[in-house]
Amino acid sequence: MDIVVLIGLDAFSYVLTLLLVTLGLVIIYGMMNVINMAHGELFMLGAYTVATLLASGVPFWICLLAAPIVVGLAGLLVEEFVIRHVYGRPIDTILATWGLSIAIKQMIIIVFGPAAVSIANPVPGSVNLMGVDYPAYRLVIMALAAALALATYLVIYRSTTGLQIRAVISNRAMAGSLGVNTRRMDRATFAVGSALAGVAGAIMSPMISVDPQMGVGFLIPAFLSVLVGGLNSLIGAVIGAGTIGGTTSILSANMAQADAQIIVFLLAIMIIRFVPQGLWKGFR
Amino acid sequence: MILQIDQLSAGYIKGSQVLDGLDLSVAKGEFIALLGRNGMGKTTLMRAIVGQLKPSAGKIRFAGNDITGAAPYKAARAGIGYVPQGREIFADFTVEENLRMGLLGKPGLGALVPDWPYEIFPILKERRHQRAGTMSGGQQQQLAIMRALLGQPELLILDEPSEGIQPSIVHDIGIALRDYAKEHGLTILLVEQNLDLVSLLGHHALFMENGSIVERVDDMDRLQNDAALIARYLSV
Repeated sequence: MDIVVLIGLDAFSYVLTLLLVTLGLVIIYGMMNVINMAHGELFMLGAYTVATLLASGVPFWICLLAAPIVVGLAGLLVEEFVIRHVYGRPIDTILATWGLSIAIKQMIIIVFGPAAVSIANPVPGSVNLMGVDYPAYRLVIMALAAALALATYLVIYRSTTGLQIRAVISNRAMAGSLGVNTRRMDRATFAVGSALAGVAGAIMSPMISVDPQMGVGFLIPAFLSVLVGGLNSLIGAVIGAGTIGGTTSILSANMAQADAQIIVFLLAIMIIRFVPQGLWKGFR
Repeated sequence: MILQIDQLSAGYIKGSQVLDGLDLSVAKGEFIALLGRNGMGKTTLMRAIVGQLKPSAGKIRFAGNDITGAAPYKAARAGIGYVPQGREIFADFTVEENLRMGLLGKPGLGALVPDWPYEIFPILKERRHQRAGTMSGGQQQQLAIMRALLGQPELLILDEPSEGIQPSIVHDIGIALRDYAKEHGLTILLVEQNLDLVSLLGHHALFMENGSIVERVDDMDRLQNDAALIARYLSV
């Protein structure tokens, strides 16, 4: 019984973690259609923001608030100097943002060195849940991920700003002719997506190795979640993260990590092949 | 003159101008119909006025401001409402969300759709929570017009609003729009092939040929009776 609860909790935790990392990607890749190869580095910048501020004595929870601001501002710069010149040109976008990702990584190596930085767990200890001792901070991550997903949903689908963002994405010229400042919306949308990547990195930083290569690990499953769930949809991303995260986690409990990864990738390929519009739109 | 265009040139490919030194002036409250065969540059002119296409030469002044090459949102906020060819409604948004988009881009208009658009076109009220893409062409056209009017423009530009819509519905839309425009002192610039709508909404007709305006007709009866005029500018 305990093992079932534990696997269930692990799966649920991984799904929510993946969702947390995917949120920014839903906006930047899923909605704006920008394939940002530097998304993982924005995630990393969030973690390093925490590391830097913690080292100078700022409490962890303040660091957590600072990370999205710092990374959101970084996103603004990236949009202004790189992304806005390559909108609508996917191959150029991949090359430009790939270069950017290398540059950010090298910058981190120059400033912080290649070794991993460790961040102390701000909520040590465990909580007894249905007879299983579960790390308390993981539960915090799950709660924050769910809250951020809900907040993102409310902003995008329930606020007037979200309506304008979606209008610019669906018909840029017409939105402009209705008086919407499309450049400002692009900037804001990219910055919000970046801030979400940053806060994800910050929240995850006590649980993972904070090093210059940390961006890649989550990036691939996050891209897969967006693709499997369906582009341009937050609910799709929830379903995608559930599918990819849930399968990975449950399979990993029963077999070697590498075998589990292969099965998950095959599953993703099958879904993308047979339901190209993603699970959410495909079965609606 | 609310709209003053001088020596305007614009095109899609460098060196090839669709509009070639075009002059046009529109007085406040005037209803101008722009006619001409396909490919003469009517839509190009509309897109240049609303800022969706940057002109290569010339000047566009609107209500005293130079808006040549300004971003679309600036032209919109200066007071130009645009109902483009093909309507360009947001198909995935509800009817009400589409109407709300007519307000949100304009500072000071709030976000709440008032009642009057629903009074002019009641079908929009009935369908307000429905996805706009599921409506018929005529209903979508009513929506596109109301979305533009909600932004309280001084000049409304309509590009082929009758396209693909049942003639009786075109006529009803034309009457509703004419009444609204007269009441609010709205200026209308209409590109149209449908002569019924032109006679409802046009005080003057301008004929366009090869990127410039070649003739102005003030006596609108000539549009019905002057076969030579129709043959020269409209028949294919």
